[in-house]
Amino acid sequence: MAQPFLMAKNLRKSFDGRKAVDRVSFSISKGEIFGLLGPNGAGKTTIIRVLSTVLEPDRGNVIIGGHSVRRNPDAVRRLIGVCPQELALYEELSAIDNLVFFGRMVGLSGSEAKAQAVARLKLVGLRGRARGRVDKFSGGMKRRVNLAVSLMGHPKLLFLDEPTVGIDPQSRNNIYETIEGLRRKGMTILYTTHYMEEASRICDRVAIIDNGRIIALDTPLALRSRLGPPESVTLEDVFLKLTGRSLRD
Amino acid sequence: MTKPLLIALHEVRIYLRDKGDLAFSLLLPVITFALLYGAFGGQDTFHGTAYVVNEDAGGAYSELLVERLDTQDSLDVVLLSAGEADAKLERADLLLVFYIPYGFSDELAAGDQAELVTRQRGNGGDEGQIVASIVRSIVDNLAQEFHVRALVAEAVAGEGINAEHIATTADYFIAQQREDPSVSVRQETFGGASDPLEMFLPSILTMYVLFNVTLTARAIVEERRKGTLERLMTTQLEVGQLFFGKFLAFCARGMVQTLILMLLAYAVFQMFTLASFFQSLAIVALFLAAVSGLGLIIASVARTEDQATWIAIVFTMIMVILGGTFFELPESGVLATLSHISVNTYVNDALKAVINEGLSLAGVSMQLAVLAGVAVVALPLGRLLFKALPGGR
Repeated sequence: MAQPFLMAKNLRKSFDGRKAVDRVSFSISKGEIFGLLGPNGAGKTTIIRVLSTVLEPDRGNVIIGGHSVRRNPDAVRRLIGVCPQELALYEELSAIDNLVFFGRMVGLSGSEAKAQAVARLKLVGLRGRARGRVDKFSGGMKRRVNLAVSLMGHPKLLFLDEPTVGIDPQSRNNIYETIEGLRRKGMTILYTTHYMEEASRICDRVAIIDNGRIIALDTPLALRSRLGPPESVTLEDVFLKLTGRSLRD
Repeated sequence: MTKPLLIALHEVRIYLRDKGDLAFSLLLPVITFALLYGAFGGQDTFHGTAYVVNEDAGGAYSELLVERLDTQDSLDVVLLSAGEADAKLERADLLLVFYIPYGFSDELAAGDQAELVTRQRGNGGDEGQIVASIVRSIVDNLAQEFHVRALVAEAVAGEGINAEHIATTADYFIAQQREDPSVSVRQETFGGASDPLEMFLPSILTMYVLFNVTLTARAIVEERRKGTLERLMTTQLEVGQLFFGKFLAFCARGMVQTLILMLLAYAVFQMFTLASFFQSLAIVALFLAAVSGLGLIIASVARTEDQATWIAIVFTMIMVILGGTFFELPESGVLATLSHISVNTYVNDALKAVINEGLSLAGVSMQLAVLAGVAVVALPLGRLLFKALPGGR
């Protein structure tokens, strides 16, 4: 087992007395793609917000690349890239202006930011639309710009919070291919999704989370094996078995 | 220092990309100025119309009188026929008409007393009375000139001096007296400017800057709504740098609008000397800094764009009312005491002193110190509030 790049220990976070994250512990090795699966409101986004230094945990700690998010959040921010679930872009600006701006914010020089912006847009298939205003883009194109922004500054650890939600199969496939490319380059990724097939395809290991707690953590194959022969069981079967069939708010 | 500048440039870029927003924010000062011009332009002194019926048309002295009336800056002369004038007076379209009767010039030429007749409805109206008094003074001057010429001619009669030479010499001295009178009137103004524009322009400048509070107050909330605030918080950008960048951007935007308004006032109304123009610009820049800082305090507290807007509106109203923006504040009493909490009080006082009274920046140093103090305190206070309140960092 490689040295963990991220170690979360006993994380707790409550909002108005409601436990959003409850005693969550896990680790992610360097170069691993780690999936967080869970129904709506399970606590996935809150975990990412804690890991990415946006929220401070009530208890517990996270070490990323040897730095504590509590004690040294600035050092952690130099290592991470975040692709939030909601689009976080300046839609009045062009795709390349968005990338260059966020590139400057992660500490790149002007020329570095421009060069990286062009490369990232090429990676997500938007090189030809670099000068287009984001508010004129389709949902899928915006998602790809959202992902490209998170790659500015060569982060060592990437948080992808449901990056494929609500987009067409072509854009989704482009995002899968981008993530596969990042895996080949050894990037560490924490990935949250609702799509079980997606998690099976992309993730090395997945944690199933419900009501703020991790209720299962293993490789997709091992999780499927828990219910029977893995070739006849899907990750969705496991997910529904563990989280129940009742509707969630 | 680079990141605040980058944030400011980024804000400016967004501002420039939104063509509607850009056009509106740049046109608004021009529209405001046009309204000002419509309301006050050219009305700093009285201007009226003298309606004249010249029944002595072609007469040398009647034409001279009309010409004299016409050269007055404060008068327009409209010539009417007797029929037109009578009909207009009858219908009350006009309240006062001057009649130069037939034989007016001949009577004067003969050394007789000539008469100008006024016909009026009632008291002739306010404007009519003022016009009548101006016309009377011109007629008096003309009469005096005739009188002087007649006296000179009488005094040197029989001394063998050429009559034409007497007339020319008398006219020369009369013209000299008209150019450089022995007695003149000097106007001194107390208790504010005599020109309403001079009174209101500083207030309009400050109002304009104050409107920027609303935009500044929404700055952080808009980033929060777009999701970009959270994204920025995962980068190497410090929140203090974000605040300072926004602060610089709103100061720059406000300065552009202020500059448009002041340049128009400078070019059209000649309201500034070159020195007072730059002094006023410096005062407004400090006010902008103070107001942007206060706007960022609101931005730190507000959770939604509506909240930010309404807090900013209430703030603006309080500042305007307590700042004596459009009315003179009493020198003592509760309102005078409360006015000290309004930043408008200080900027209005400073601008009026520089524009209307010709004071230098040193003469308004107390007001400038207060504005600078507000700016210096407000910016870090906004940052601290952002840290202290939920959702901040």
